[in-house]
Amino acid sequence: MIIAGTPQATRSAALCRDQKDRGTRLAADLREVQSQGNVPIHTPSMTLLVICAIALIVAGVLLLRASWRGARRHNLIVAFGWLFIAASFVVMSHTMSAERAAAYGILAVSLAAYAIVAISSEVRKPNSRSSAQLSLEPEARPTNWKRAIAKSLLAIVLAGVAAIGIGVAFAVAMPMGPHDRIVIGALLVPILWGGGMAWTLADAKLGRATLILLAISALSYAIAFLPKVLAA
Amino acid sequence: MNEMTSSAGRQPSQVRKRPLLPPKFVQAMLAGHSALGLAFAALIYIVCLTGTLSVFLHDFHRWEQPDAPLASGPIKTEAIAEATRAGHAQAVADNVAQDLFLFLPSALSPRFLVTYFNDAGKEGEWVADNDGRLVTRVVSPWSEFLAHLHMELHLPRTWGLFIVGLTGVALLSSLISGLLAHPRIFKDAFALRWGRSKRLQQADLHNRLGVWALPFHVVVSLTGALLGLATLIIGVLALAAYNGDSEKAFATILGPRAAVTEEPAPVPDVAPMVASVQSKAPNAELVAVHYQRIATSGQHVNLTMRTPGHLAFGNTYYFDGNGKPLGDGGLEVGGIGQQILGVLQPLHFGWFGGLGTKVIYALLGLAMTIVTQTGVAIWLSRRRDKGLPAEKWERLWSAVTWGQPLALAACAFASLFIGEELLVVVYLAVTLATLVLAAGVREAATVRRAFQGLSAVALAAVAVLHFNRWHGLASDPASAWIDGSLLLAALLFALLAFQPNGEATRNQAAKAAL
Repeated sequence: MIIAGTPQATRSAALCRDQKDRGTRLAADLREVQSQGNVPIHTPSMTLLVICAIALIVAGVLLLRASWRGARRHNLIVAFGWLFIAASFVVMSHTMSAERAAAYGILAVSLAAYAIVAISSEVRKPNSRSSAQLSLEPEARPTNWKRAIAKSLLAIVLAGVAAIGIGVAFAVAMPMGPHDRIVIGALLVPILWGGGMAWTLADAKLGRATLILLAISALSYAIAFLPKVLAA
Repeated sequence: MNEMTSSAGRQPSQVRKRPLLPPKFVQAMLAGHSALGLAFAALIYIVCLTGTLSVFLHDFHRWEQPDAPLASGPIKTEAIAEATRAGHAQAVADNVAQDLFLFLPSALSPRFLVTYFNDAGKEGEWVADNDGRLVTRVVSPWSEFLAHLHMELHLPRTWGLFIVGLTGVALLSSLISGLLAHPRIFKDAFALRWGRSKRLQQADLHNRLGVWALPFHVVVSLTGALLGLATLIIGVLALAAYNGDSEKAFATILGPRAAVTEEPAPVPDVAPMVASVQSKAPNAELVAVHYQRIATSGQHVNLTMRTPGHLAFGNTYYFDGNGKPLGDGGLEVGGIGQQILGVLQPLHFGWFGGLGTKVIYALLGLAMTIVTQTGVAIWLSRRRDKGLPAEKWERLWSAVTWGQPLALAACAFASLFIGEELLVVVYLAVTLATLVLAAGVREAATVRRAFQGLSAVALAAVAVLHFNRWHGLASDPASAWIDGSLLLAALLFALLAFQPNGEATRNQAAKAAL
């Protein structure tokens, strides 16, 4: 360890200074752009393109609204709506990279749709008609504490065990680079766990869900741990 | 708590004859969606609310110390060397010399930050000036409190991360079941009907906010779940393929680790390393420097360097203690797994752009919070419509919904006087008090109004007190705009508190119509 103020620390600082001189070219000096970070450089033509992209998104969402809110659905209008939205992404990608255009495009569609929904919201007169008559009700099921605990164990524990098993099996066994198989395998876990939760909570047959999840767990952990077992 | 509400007010002939999904399937999904939503509602709500605020974490740091210097221009190599020297010296003085980070100013934060920590969990953080001199120690109890609440719920780290990760999974699962319980997703995509019945209004709001920002909700819940569960997943992977060594498994994806040794060695200069990266990627800009096991013979240096056009903070370039390149993380242009790794955090927190991106993320995060709130409210309204009102749960949910902003505002107020550890006590005390008070009140609407009013007072008090403390001393503009935003939020809460009770008005109008 170097202690501050000791000869070692002084020597270290001196070494830093020597090496620093050799690297002067680098930063011209860590250019000014650095302090601007991710903020893109704007020009009038780029601003115009961004405005065009936003207009395309708004037009696309309005077309979707025109079709979906109408008495009849017009597939051509729906197709044009999505086409306008897709075109906006292309236009936006001329002002920034494709990955940033996709991210900002998705955010812009959400905001545009929110705005259009808010503007076109209806204020209706209150009535006495119970809204219970107006909507589909969740399935009525007999339930008790034992069943609730069993469902919780299925959805949280067993679905989680199975999802982690599949993710780890993917990370161990897929013929990909280590980064790809580990990260994609890890990403699969919350997706599969979430899907498993949704399924087990919706499925009234607990025995069926238990058996399927146990089978998946056994298979996935066998794939994940087999190389280690064979090597031992 | 999704609801299919579209048939409201339509003639039978207009109703779709062949539904997209069988009603039985939709009802089963609704049942699962309700059960999951109710079980995790409070946790999802707290994580969403704190997540919405966490988008501005870097700005809150600045607000708490508005006299700390901001970068007034590009950081030169001399300043980086000086910050390294001064940071290391300070880490040694604090007995925390192990890993040292330099964060250069960027759109995310215009501060030049120097951070150090060790395996024992001790750490220190300083703001440096443009010349790399350490100016002031970072003191930000509110920001730290907020970050730990969002990421770990102030529980022991491993458990906290797991529970927040599990909450992310539950949210993701709710999105899946909510989508499948919504067969008229397109037909109803623009329906927002106010005034008719509280339940229809809540269902419309719940479904519209949920559906139109679905990609955002999926990305945020998925990345959040992955960030929270990473330790558990990698732990199991380590058992399967790395002889139980989690560090080794993490090193596979996060790059080489420094060897643990006590033998001293000079701290290498980063300038030649930056030059070597820029010789291959001329547009790459230095974002951060991480010295692992600094000033020991096993030390490594990781440079985070960003090329324009990517969502990732930057790519990580690895060097040994002699400045020899050891490869890079491929976070910007590597394999798909590497690129996913690079965008996890920026996509989760909205930290890939400037203030505008953060505002958009906050709006959509607020939408997600409202979706959670209305989900439970729909279930409560449904009970009431059936003649089985759950009044105790109505008051309790009101206490959670409106008590949490109050608890957070109280913590922000307290942070002007006390440290982070005591803020947890304040948070728990206010949360408990809101629940106890709600139990003693007759109507949920009274609970709502009381906590909205108190939140307005607390937020205004924070803004006024902060302004009073830093008036004439603050050099950071974040101080003024966050104080202004707090006052606006206080006004909004006050307006909500004085809003007439919608349900009572509706019931009266309905009776009059009859």
